[in-house]
Amino acid sequence: MSEQGLQTTTGDRGILLRPTRASLQRFGRQAALVAVIVLVGLFLVGMGHRVGYGAADYLQLLVDGLQIGAVYALVALGFVVVYRVTGVINFAQGAFVMLGPMLTITLFGSLSGSPVFRLVVSALGAVLFVAAVGMAIHRLTLHPARKASALTRIIITVGVYISVQGIALIAWGPRPYVLPAFTTLQMVDRLVEVGSIIIQAQTFWIWGVAVAMLVLLALFFERTVVGKAMRACAVNRIAAQLMGIRVDRMATLAFGLAAVLGAVAGIVLSPATRPTYDMGLELGLKGFVAAIMGGLVSFPGAVVGGIALGILESLWGGVTLAGFKDLFAFLMLILSLLFWPQGILAGKGEGGS
Amino acid sequence: MRTRGIKAAILAATLLVTVPLWAGPARVGTPYKIGFIASITGPGASLGKPERDVARLMQERLNREGGIVGTDGVRHEVQILINDDQSRADTAASLARRLIEQEQVHVLVAGTLSGPSLAMVPIATELRTPMISMASARAIIEDPETKRMRPWIFKPVPENLHSAAKQAEYLKAIGITGVCHLYENTAYGKDTFESAKVEFGKVGIRILYGDSFDRFATEFPQVTRVRASGCKAVVIGSIPPAAAVINVAVAGRVGLRKIVHGHGACSPDLIRTAGAAAEGTVMPCGKILVADQLPATDPVRRVNLELIQEYTRITGGDPISTFAGHAYDALQWALLALREVPDGLPLARVREAVREALEGKIKNYVGTHGVMTLSPEDHLGFNPKDFVIVTVRGGRFVILPREQWK
Repeated sequence: MSEQGLQTTTGDRGILLRPTRASLQRFGRQAALVAVIVLVGLFLVGMGHRVGYGAADYLQLLVDGLQIGAVYALVALGFVVVYRVTGVINFAQGAFVMLGPMLTITLFGSLSGSPVFRLVVSALGAVLFVAAVGMAIHRLTLHPARKASALTRIIITVGVYISVQGIALIAWGPRPYVLPAFTTLQMVDRLVEVGSIIIQAQTFWIWGVAVAMLVLLALFFERTVVGKAMRACAVNRIAAQLMGIRVDRMATLAFGLAAVLGAVAGIVLSPATRPTYDMGLELGLKGFVAAIMGGLVSFPGAVVGGIALGILESLWGGVTLAGFKDLFAFLMLILSLLFWPQGILAGKGEGGS
Repeated sequence: MRTRGIKAAILAATLLVTVPLWAGPARVGTPYKIGFIASITGPGASLGKPERDVARLMQERLNREGGIVGTDGVRHEVQILINDDQSRADTAASLARRLIEQEQVHVLVAGTLSGPSLAMVPIATELRTPMISMASARAIIEDPETKRMRPWIFKPVPENLHSAAKQAEYLKAIGITGVCHLYENTAYGKDTFESAKVEFGKVGIRILYGDSFDRFATEFPQVTRVRASGCKAVVIGSIPPAAAVINVAVAGRVGLRKIVHGHGACSPDLIRTAGAAAEGTVMPCGKILVADQLPATDPVRRVNLELIQEYTRITGGDPISTFAGHAYDALQWALLALREVPDGLPLARVREAVREALEGKIKNYVGTHGVMTLSPEDHLGFNPKDFVIVTVRGGRFVILPREQWK
């Protein structure tokens, strides 16, 4: 908008100069992206050579990164859904990621019947419950504060996260829990060997569920009235309201949707790890980094951001000291905010510009 | 003649039984307070909770016996004040200060984890109060710069150096010369790594790849590095739950490499959380964990079996852990030292007397982890020979005798 103002006041010169400047900027960004990719690639190969890596080792790291990247992508989508409709960065997203598996495990333990039946019912039950929690959180905390500034509302979500984690500590205690692997229905998962690469069977579940969620999400936004209404709120809230869309309801629904995404991500991941009451912090923050890398408003951006973060983190950790892989993730956050505030897919996709 | 003999015997027996009563009940002295701080919640909870349970058990025992009777024959009530530092160093420090200054405890049994323990060390030292820690780091009892014992601090807990020495002995015996070392990103984990460097180096075992991991981590690039490094065993420096998480991530994905834990993993939590992934892993453990498998000649066996029986009763069936043993030994040391203190001293003098008794009077103490003797030069008194190599078999910890090492 300010650039448009510039255009009218400076007259012809401005009109002539502006595209050049913009294209220069675009060129600069693309050049920076290419330079960074080349540098990172060289760094990975150099360091990998030092520790004696072959192609199979890189491939293994890639697969591992793709596994966790899919989870980051789902969590990141939750951030994007809420941000687009309400303009709030919802730091309570991590709480949904934790509640999903914890509730599934509790339900799984209390049901009777065949393990498959128990797993399906408890996972669905947990997802629905977390969705309700998500909507309740919006109604009870953010809705009353809808007139407050965005910063205030973001801080509220931080408070909500801390409260939910505290309640989880009381409910489940500090010890880690175990959700059986989907394939073996036991504590220990099957390992699939492809050449010299080893993949947990759960990884395929993670990928499958992530893809299914993406398809469902796309159908929801493209084909359903509610989905379209939600997109309308994202494009222009006031116009949407004038068209008779209940923006408040859409915001509550967005929280429900984000909660579903978070809970599903947590549930499919948990057999590959050991869920605890505080697992949401790390996954929530990584999802946030992925969302930022994707530009925070773009669904494809969030997916690409999540996968890119997972893979880069895994490769970086594999060639340097893996204990510092979180450092790298947050370095990515700073870099993307500095160089690609619009996301790495800037200019593509609906909300990219 | 015979009846008279029997009557005399009965009289003698009656006299023997009632003489203590004639002397009247032991004089009652000032009640003692033990400040107990453990990590009952937070990441250290799987260690701190058993410790808390032991503190409760000991309090129950003390109440039943009417406190302790000192060597001067004076009876003292003992109160154990149980506190939770939430696995945080700052909370631990402020709790320690409060217990010493406001509650006026005579001795502290404090610190489940090394971090919080180290945070309390300067406070106990400054306020001249003896402190017995339940954590493992060497720096708790020894000043790393001067290499001298900290006068006020004690601990009955074996160190990572002892653990690493035992691991080295085992690895050497099974013919492994290159290992990978994965340690959790905490004071404890880093100490296991430093200790391994020292002890493995002594017997010529090289660490081909050493790396830390985060206890929240959900994906481990370390596994790929382990496979690329050519090491023949993976040594894990971690406590459950993190130890279980990395165990699960590594098991089955690093080929036939042997997985060796540190003594911090000697907890039923490892088996419960890692499940079958823990099968076949090996670790040096304190004897308490496998007390029922010890030979009857081992003096440690009886102490442990008694403790385990009471512990199972008070917790409603929890399996024993080494940490329960540490709390037991620490509290026993405190009580043994308090017995040596003459009645009627002012608070500051009692604390000094406890310190002196800990240094001078704990000799051949039969504890849960071995037979220990304290001295001004050694505030731990542990002999690494008292560690046993243990493996997980059929969901249980089983002693692996020397001849079965392979």
